[in-house]
Amino acid sequence: MPELPATDPAGAQAADGAAPRDTAMSGSAAWAALGAAGHLARVYRGGDVRRGIDVDGLADVLATADARWAIPATLSASVQLATALPVLATGTGPAVERVLARALSGRATLALAATDTTAGTDLTALRTEAAVDTTGVVVTGGKKWITNATTAESFLVLARHRPGRHFANFTWVLVPADAPGVAIRPAPSTLYAGSGAGHVSFDAVSLNREHLVGRVGFGLPVFARHIAVERLAGALWGVALCRRVLTDTRRRLTGREHQEGTLWNLGHVRQRFAAALVRVRELHALTERSAPRVAEHYDLQAAATLKAAAGTTVPYVLGECAHLWGATGFADGGMQEIRAQAALFGIGGGTTEVVLETVAEGAERVLDDLGREVLQL
Amino acid sequence: MDPRFTDLLRPFLKHAGPDELTITPETDLRRLGVDSMQAIELLFQLEDSFGIQLPNEDMNDATFATAGSLWRVVAAQLPDEESGRVTA
Repeated sequence: MPELPATDPAGAQAADGAAPRDTAMSGSAAWAALGAAGHLARVYRGGDVRRGIDVDGLADVLATADARWAIPATLSASVQLATALPVLATGTGPAVERVLARALSGRATLALAATDTTAGTDLTALRTEAAVDTTGVVVTGGKKWITNATTAESFLVLARHRPGRHFANFTWVLVPADAPGVAIRPAPSTLYAGSGAGHVSFDAVSLNREHLVGRVGFGLPVFARHIAVERLAGALWGVALCRRVLTDTRRRLTGREHQEGTLWNLGHVRQRFAAALVRVRELHALTERSAPRVAEHYDLQAAATLKAAAGTTVPYVLGECAHLWGATGFADGGMQEIRAQAALFGIGGGTTEVVLETVAEGAERVLDDLGREVLQL
Repeated sequence: MDPRFTDLLRPFLKHAGPDELTITPETDLRRLGVDSMQAIELLFQLEDSFGIQLPNEDMNDATFATAGSLWRVVAAQLPDEESGRVTA
């Protein structure tokens, strides 16, 4: 297997000490590196996006990205791997196949443009329109806080083709970033600049029907399925991120002198660390158990449970680690910055509150799963 | 309505009481638990189970209102011998 480029301007080390970290690497450069190394295809069964996710392959690539690069770069890859490429692969035709091939090889990035100018938690209120007729489609509207926006070669845009909130009123459209009427600007975020986060507007962008992705009216059904995989990806990544940060934190605690020993010898420090470790073990166990149901059956309930768990566990663990780093955590690129970036786990791809609603909807099934036979006495 | 259809529909009616276990054409899907997310899952299961594609123009609130309205749209996509329609 070809090696990933190894640059380490900051002199940082990966959690296991084996691979140098390049925390300045942009999401698009990280994507290109993964593609050049042949790692992107291994995320899918048989290397074919249309056959679905290979959970081990996805976990390996996300853990690799997390070990090598900062959170924004891994986010850039995660969104493409788990959602953008699989959604694009529901389409056919020359435009779709061309972008899919370029993205899978790492030669181009693809931005998933679902979140509209309206609230992200109110997806069926989105305003971006796709006027579809027999000759083509015209896209008008805007999307905000889109990962990979400033680097993408194309946008996969969720737009409404008719008014109303019904789930069948939405369609995916593949919009080239250089099409007339597309305007992109970076989001005002130092924390996530590395992910290419930005806003994009579409001013009567006119395209032929090749650019309609999948069936008209299937925008939300397809998104619902693939957001489940994105939630699984978040949990897999969350475990890798927590493990790396806990490893770095333990290394610091065992090396930092305190009285006759080190910080690691202090009971309250060890207990605080151990409590975070337990939470990661819980997330890991839940992820292992739920992954097949999400990857093979798009189980929305299992995916929501994973997202809720990752959305609370990752910020908790990183918050604890940031505290244990003391004043050093406030250094540029330090643990407090990582903690702030990791707050995204409770927001992006569905806030914790939204996914908990889905969990509550399926409470009966969850309780049944927990049940055991009560023996006769 | 085809028993395959009612069997497939029943697990989605999680708010159905004991007196609503029999699915009739008037069965109110939304009141008995078929919200948007459930309707999406139901759509995928119907298309996979019957090997059909529901037309875009039929994917609306009216279609997903009752068991009968949904069955009419499903049946319209089936070969005559499966939909129960009498042919001349």
